[in-house]
Amino acid sequence: MGNPLLTFWARHHRREEEERRARRARLLAAAASANRASETIFLILRRMRAPLIVLIAIFAVSVLGLTLIPGQDDEGRPWDMGFFDAIYVMSYTATTIGFGEIPYPFTYNQRMWVTISIYLTVVGWAYAIGSLLGLLQDRAFRSALALQRFTRKVARLAEPFVLIAGYGRAGELLGHSMDALGRRIVVLDRNDERIDGLELESYHGDVPGLAADARDPGHLGVAGLDHPCCEAVVALTDDDEANLAVVMTTALLRPDLPVIARATTRVMADRMRVFGSPSVVNPFDLFGDHVQLALRAPASYQLLTWLESGPGAALPRRASPPRGGRWVVCGYGRLGRELTGDLRAEGIDVTVIDPSPHDDADDVVVAGGYEPAVLAAVGLEEAVGFVAGTDNDITNLSLVETARRANPTLFVAARQNRPSSAPLFAAMELDALLVPTEEVAHEVYAQLSTPLLWRFLRAMPALGDDWAAALVDRLTDLCGQHLQALWKVRLTEREAPALTPWLAAGEARLGDLLRNPEDRDECLHAVPLLLLRGDDATLAPDPDFVLAPGDELLLAGWPAARRALEVTLIVDAVREYVVTGRRVPSSWLWRKLSGAPAASEETRPTAATPS
Amino acid sequence: MLTSSSVSEEVRVNLEKVVFGFFVLLAATLNFGFFLGDMRDADLHNPFELFAAVVVNLIALVLKFGDRTQIGAVHLATSLVASLQLVGAALMYGYAIYVSSAGMTESWTASVVSLSGGALLANIVSVVLLVVETVSFHRG
Repeated sequence: MGNPLLTFWARHHRREEEERRARRARLLAAAASANRASETIFLILRRMRAPLIVLIAIFAVSVLGLTLIPGQDDEGRPWDMGFFDAIYVMSYTATTIGFGEIPYPFTYNQRMWVTISIYLTVVGWAYAIGSLLGLLQDRAFRSALALQRFTRKVARLAEPFVLIAGYGRAGELLGHSMDALGRRIVVLDRNDERIDGLELESYHGDVPGLAADARDPGHLGVAGLDHPCCEAVVALTDDDEANLAVVMTTALLRPDLPVIARATTRVMADRMRVFGSPSVVNPFDLFGDHVQLALRAPASYQLLTWLESGPGAALPRRASPPRGGRWVVCGYGRLGRELTGDLRAEGIDVTVIDPSPHDDADDVVVAGGYEPAVLAAVGLEEAVGFVAGTDNDITNLSLVETARRANPTLFVAARQNRPSSAPLFAAMELDALLVPTEEVAHEVYAQLSTPLLWRFLRAMPALGDDWAAALVDRLTDLCGQHLQALWKVRLTEREAPALTPWLAAGEARLGDLLRNPEDRDECLHAVPLLLLRGDDATLAPDPDFVLAPGDELLLAGWPAARRALEVTLIVDAVREYVVTGRRVPSSWLWRKLSGAPAASEETRPTAATPS
Repeated sequence: MLTSSSVSEEVRVNLEKVVFGFFVLLAATLNFGFFLGDMRDADLHNPFELFAAVVVNLIALVLKFGDRTQIGAVHLATSLVASLQLVGAALMYGYAIYVSSAGMTESWTASVVSLSGGALLANIVSVVLLVVETVSFHRG
């Protein structure tokens, strides 16, 4: 083929063909379970065959009998009932309405036949209606209907959504945080009670939910894995293997999608990382890291947990775990192991108590029932920190109380396993509390909400404790004790058209932008957390920072500040006032009339700035 | 060898198919019986035959509910067409007798019979499908 245009077209066509084929292969996955739905409906129809045929047959025989049996009219002349009359009489008789003998009183012959027909047809109707109602109550039928409704809802989603597989406590927390940000979610869980509960929860957006096993690729497909608007997949089931299956399915069918999965062991996390590059969240590992951070930099830890908790969260207390001294950790399970390792890495002396001996740790005190005598034997009086980290809430609570009695000055941390125990743990007023599900939800939220927040949280600990403390003070001064809105601004021609000439001038100070459009002497109630230019991130840029076109800003502050800033970004006149203090007429006519200030609009170098 | 294979063939006869074949054929024959005769003459078209054709057609329709095969779906479609046409014919018949003041005129009779003629066509398609299905089954 000599013509380059033709070659290009052929290549383009081939690529399109390949993409289409790949897409079709992925759709097959979804088709598998969609077929199952129509299968159920076919089964229902098949089961309705017998009642319907019985009904038709009984009806036909009764009607035929009525038309054949000779009758007489009101003057005693012989009269044969026509088909219409017969069908009319049988219809109201069979449905137990009973209008009487129409159009003429029946003869005894007819009455005998009608008597027989009544019993036949009523039984026939009862059978047909009973079967129909029984099928409507049928579990398989209802779940097939639910699947169809769910499929339709997901297919109609026209905005980006996050697919959450596993709607436990963590999924619920994450769902509400995402919903508060105005993002859509689709939920998959094996437990139908959790899915039914979706309707009772107060979501702003409609949340499609399906009670199905996430291990089945077909279910993931129906839940929107192959939907073009799906922006991320989150695997939060309480079963590590199911999470692995979700990671696997996504990596194979939609390699372009980001995946975040919960794993409770390191082995499982490694198995997940084999498939593409999923982000694995291990709540115990995370808690260990957080304790490490809290030991080094309490203010950094405070800022981290505050920003991770999502919009509306109260400022957490700044806990300061004691560094010098010995810690006692009860329970050497998944949490105990991670935590002990992290504490020892910080150079802290740790004593571990566990009911069974472990191969990988030689200095574990083996003690069955965590009796007070054991706690006394490990020298709780001289210890500074205590962790109740077993997987039993009752044990943890009693351990905390016992330890407090032995040594009231202890720094006490505990693990809460069940959401129902929350009030008890709250009443204990612990220094640190680990709720694995919340830990996971916060971490996933930080990763999903905006990439800038995730970047900020990862870069922030490196800047030190004093820096973090200063930022927390700035945030609380401006926005109060509760975290307000957290949003992103992109200074591009598209999203900030009014800023283009100002940014191009090269003297655009951040501090000038963050002023109140009503009164520029007042600052906006917003704190810039991060500025991203290309790949370079600047944390908490100061007011003298010079902005450039294409910069991305992450801000925290009042929702009102967000609206005000949006106006500044879009309306030229407001930007002019905020930046320079000059009041510029915003309408064309007024600008013409007032003359001079319009010149700045005319010189706007839109063509000169490549965007 | 030959006998054993024929025995197994016989064992494989599907009762569902027999019943369905019976109703499809009966629907076609009854409808044909009603259709036969001068189109304008009401005396040559027995209403009982029309009634029987409607009932048998409805049963044939219900028998194909929930059939997932391709040919089953076509059967369902043809039965549905035939049933609709026949019910239409029965409604026209009832209207002419009970409602219309002119009664069963030649034009009304012709309309009823031509509707049933359309249904007959659908019935014949059903029978052809049945024969095709049977023949292809034996080849396979």
